Amino acid sequence: MTDTASGKTPVTVLTGYLGAGKTTLLNRILTEDHGKRYAVIVNEFGEIGIDNDLVVGADEDVFEMNNGCVCCTVRGDLIRVVNGLMKRQRPGKPAFDAIIVETTGLADPGPVAQTFFVDDEVKAKTVLDSVTALVDAKHVMARLDDSKEAREQVAFADQIILNKTDLVTEDELVAVETRLRGLNPLAPITRAQRADVPLDQILGVHGFDLERITEVRPDFVNPPHGADGHVHDDHCGHDHHDHDHGHDHAHDHEHHHHGARGHAHEDDIKGIALSLDRPMDGQKFTHWLDKLLGEQGQNILRAKGIIDVQGEDRRLVFQAVHMILEGDLQKPWGDKERRWSRAVFIGRDLDEAALKAGFEACAA
Amino acid sequence: MIRFDFDAQPTAALFDKTGAVFALGDGAVRFEGGEFSIAHDGAVLCAAVHPSGDGVVTGGDDGRVIWHRRGEAGLLATAKGAWIDAIDASADSGLIAFSAGKTLSVIDAKDAAFRRDFQHERTVSGVAFEPKGRRIATSTYGGAALWFARIAEQKPTLLKWAGSHTGVAFSPDGAFVVTSMQDNQLHGWRIKDQKNLRMGGYPSKVKAISFLSGGQLMATSGAQGAVLWPFVGSNGPMGREATEIGFDEGSLVSVVASRPKHGLLAAGLNDGRVWLADPAGQGLNFLKAEKGAAITVLAMSEDAKRVAWADEDGHAGVFDL
Repeated sequence: MTDTASGKTPVTVLTGYLGAGKTTLLNRILTEDHGKRYAVIVNEFGEIGIDNDLVVGADEDVFEMNNGCVCCTVRGDLIRVVNGLMKRQRPGKPAFDAIIVETTGLADPGPVAQTFFVDDEVKAKTVLDSVTALVDAKHVMARLDDSKEAREQVAFADQIILNKTDLVTEDELVAVETRLRGLNPLAPITRAQRADVPLDQILGVHGFDLERITEVRPDFVNPPHGADGHVHDDHCGHDHHDHDHGHDHAHDHEHHHHGARGHAHEDDIKGIALSLDRPMDGQKFTHWLDKLLGEQGQNILRAKGIIDVQGEDRRLVFQAVHMILEGDLQKPWGDKERRWSRAVFIGRDLDEAALKAGFEACAA
Repeated sequence: MIRFDFDAQPTAALFDKTGAVFALGDGAVRFEGGEFSIAHDGAVLCAAVHPSGDGVVTGGDDGRVIWHRRGEAGLLATAKGAWIDAIDASADSGLIAFSAGKTLSVIDAKDAAFRRDFQHERTVSGVAFEPKGRRIATSTYGGAALWFARIAEQKPTLLKWAGSHTGVAFSPDGAFVVTSMQDNQLHGWRIKDQKNLRMGGYPSKVKAISFLSGGQLMATSGAQGAVLWPFVGSNGPMGREATEIGFDEGSLVSVVASRPKHGLLAAGLNDGRVWLADPAGQGLNFLKAEKGAAITVLAMSEDAKRVAWADEDGHAGVFDL
């Protein structure tokens, strides 16, 4: 699993509240016959089997960097533990195929992720692969209602494992998925029972790898076509189909009566998708993005985008964690490829209209 | 120069009274004469010369403190389930201090029954004895703490400064405590009045602090050259400027080594070179001019006649100056 190109050890951050199935998953990672060597950083030593792997305790030592950036909090214990783990590394031979960081149900994933971008030594030796959220299909709705941390963990994730699907009905699952999508349109949702997701699907996600940001799909922000809550707009591609209804046409299912929960109730955190079919002015866009993250970075948990910059054959790709922004020009647009810009911002109390206006004002 | 190639990452280089010693990420301690001890089940995270001057004491990620001598090794202490993150030893007091998590522990090299455990609110990142070995400074998030090494029940003197402190050192006259910080700066306190010293301007984290020239200079890594802070008079570096020697825009000094009683300074660079300089004189003497993996550990013998280095890839060497 080691990222051979960079020689860096990939790190997977596993979030999820108590009972979501993290321990079951960690036990699988530690006991399955996968032929890999993992280091697992846990908050407390629990009943976890140790075989060829290493389990290390951490103490959630969150602190603010003295660099003037208010939201630049990192986990000091992770810096210490990761640097310690790296001492086992032999020349040219990584000590571990991957590092898995378990967080408690109350942990803010922001500082955990930021640690891997802020500390030079940690950054030199490791690469954050994904933040993976485990949620329990039966209890997640209640958790999302009463816990800000639970909403943040879902919103922050690169992928969501919807566990214990055997305990609920298909209808309930669809409702859960709709709400999860609203909180986080970027993360694919994988259904699981007893955390039975193949490990290679959990590890090796490249969630922060700019080269892998090839799919930013604004239509994810909408619930899937035909699903409860789906709203047609420019992005669902209906004009390519036979049925030729107007974009503003209200569908029957929008008039369904909704239960007490579900999308009828708006979460404070949501994903906002933006897109533009005209090329953008590169300078205007980077200026807008810098300003946006500078001013609202505390409320923006994650952002990803692919931008069509005027006069540039390559696509501008970016990803951000709060105020930490990474961007680069990546592979050229294909000859037959649709050149368009799209971005998704996941955050708290975001003003969708203002974001849309700002984004579109970057048109060349 | 004697050369070594280790199949593990060097985590410390030291000189005991006999010669150079390397501690490694595979749990081994290798003496320059070829003797070795593989007593840790995991990586050696920290090491110090044993108070007797014979061999080294190491702390590992297996939670054990081990005394390695040529031909034998013995367990001195354990911290169950916790990594030993930092260690120091004092020849003057015969004590060994180490940290595991939030606990500082003190043991006596000559009295196996002696042990003190001191608790901190945050994880301890560094441990340093004052020159006489009676007090110990620790670094944690939020500052440093000063403990009396032998007293069982005590409240430490807290030297507070916001931020994450990652390592600690005592000036040779015992008047100042200096910490390195996560955000590329040093902080110091004059112990008698807890006056603060801020030493910043570094482009990277400071990993090594070493005193030389009778304690009048403190050398550090973390910049394009070795940074020298004047510690003259009772004010130390307060209100004084640092100087930088061996400035090279293309590289960073990753480690420095010196001895308080001597005027020589050795520096290891992140491009694999090692130089020696006399800050009072001119020019650099490249002990290792060929480039390679970053130098991660460096030590100078007590008589300042030998320098041991090792790089990230396990290459190591000992020079006779």
